[in-house]
Amino acid sequence: MLRLHRRNMLQPVGSAVSRHLSTSCSPLPPTPLPHRREVHLWYIKPEEINDSSSQLKQYMDLLSPCEKKGVLSLSSERHQKNAILARTLTRTTLSRYCDGRVDPGSIKFKKGLYGKPEIMWQDGDNIIKPPLQFNLSHTSSLIACAVALENPIGIDVEENERQTVKSVLSVAKRYFTVSEVEYLAAVPYPDIQQKEFIQLWTLKEAYVKAIGRGFSGAPFKNFTIEMGSDKRAPKMHIEADSDCEGLADNCQFALMELNSSHVVAVCMERDQEISGDENNLLRLKVWRTIPFIEDELVSGTETVNYICGLS
Amino acid sequence: MASLSLTGSALSAPLSLSRPIKATNGASSFNSVSFFNHKTQRTGFPSLSCAAAKPETVDKVCEIVKKQLALADDATVTGESKFSDLGADSLDTVEIVMGLEEHFQISVEETSAQNIETVHDAAEMIEGIIENANK
Repeated sequence: MLRLHRRNMLQPVGSAVSRHLSTSCSPLPPTPLPHRREVHLWYIKPEEINDSSSQLKQYMDLLSPCEKKGVLSLSSERHQKNAILARTLTRTTLSRYCDGRVDPGSIKFKKGLYGKPEIMWQDGDNIIKPPLQFNLSHTSSLIACAVALENPIGIDVEENERQTVKSVLSVAKRYFTVSEVEYLAAVPYPDIQQKEFIQLWTLKEAYVKAIGRGFSGAPFKNFTIEMGSDKRAPKMHIEADSDCEGLADNCQFALMELNSSHVVAVCMERDQEISGDENNLLRLKVWRTIPFIEDELVSGTETVNYICGLS
Repeated sequence: MASLSLTGSALSAPLSLSRPIKATNGASSFNSVSFFNHKTQRTGFPSLSCAAAKPETVDKVCEIVKKQLALADDATVTGESKFSDLGADSLDTVEIVMGLEEHFQISVEETSAQNIETVHDAAEMIEGIIENANK
């Protein structure tokens, strides 16, 4: 099992480190850009960062004034911590692809038409501006950021044992398409049906996030996702009676399990110029990170279990 | 079940007039709850009156939210509570909407819930849907 382990130790000494983190010199090791059909996934497990650590304070210093205000407006410390980590993960991840020349705290963001966050490179920046696409997802126990080159990407994470209050079939009947409900209804065992539902849910979420519409902008009843298998990627098609215009139908999907605890779905809009089945499987690299402290490449280990759609 | 057509001319003042667009609040709102909490430029909102929702509607929404999120009975959920703050993820959110639909006997279009941030917003939306259905 390949297990690359790079450590980037930082010894905090009061405010000196905060200033260091916010200067133009980033200590994050540069990462080569993903290939066109490759997805990079970086994730944080909030339990690995101490609640009241100076580390969290240093991460907070990376946030924009608006982001800080958003964090402080949350009422529970746990939500505040996760919000800080989510912003930190986004900023540090993106800066890794800028050859050490972009300070994570300096990155600016804008929102797409339906609210999807995008990088807003500043005019006059004399640095490289890689055409990075990214998307974030979090549960209380895992925060993940997916990165791709050029192609819009969406990611959704759920705890794989996640239970719904209502029956999964009732939720599916309300929100999913007829063929998806039929698929779920045919699953013989309740606990497997629960897992299949969660997997289908994350795939659909990943799609609406990839295309930048979100749930409200692309209601789930407008498109069907067919689950894949070992060698076959999930496929989607737009429903004949869809009243949602402009839905992309050229997306690739992948599904995996992380740490045996979370299911992760990724959706990437496909390259136009490549056609045929050879385009069907995505390549993936996954890192577990504690930004500025530790990065661990976990793809290729038992931490990442491919379900479908990945080569 | 009463159903709301978003393109109906029965809509009163669009949301943008009665509720100013707030400053963007960082990226996490889109990503964690892609249902609620992002402003869009779409038009065609449910009829939201500027008057506050009835207290009993707000209370009912609080009750349904608490039940879905398995919060303690004495947990603080009020009209001002934000869904993002309560830790509702996208699955919680759709189940909350299903609970609201069942209780109030309404149908909530996915698009009509996109600007709901607080419990009070949800209560107002519900009353708007009911009001429109009764016209």
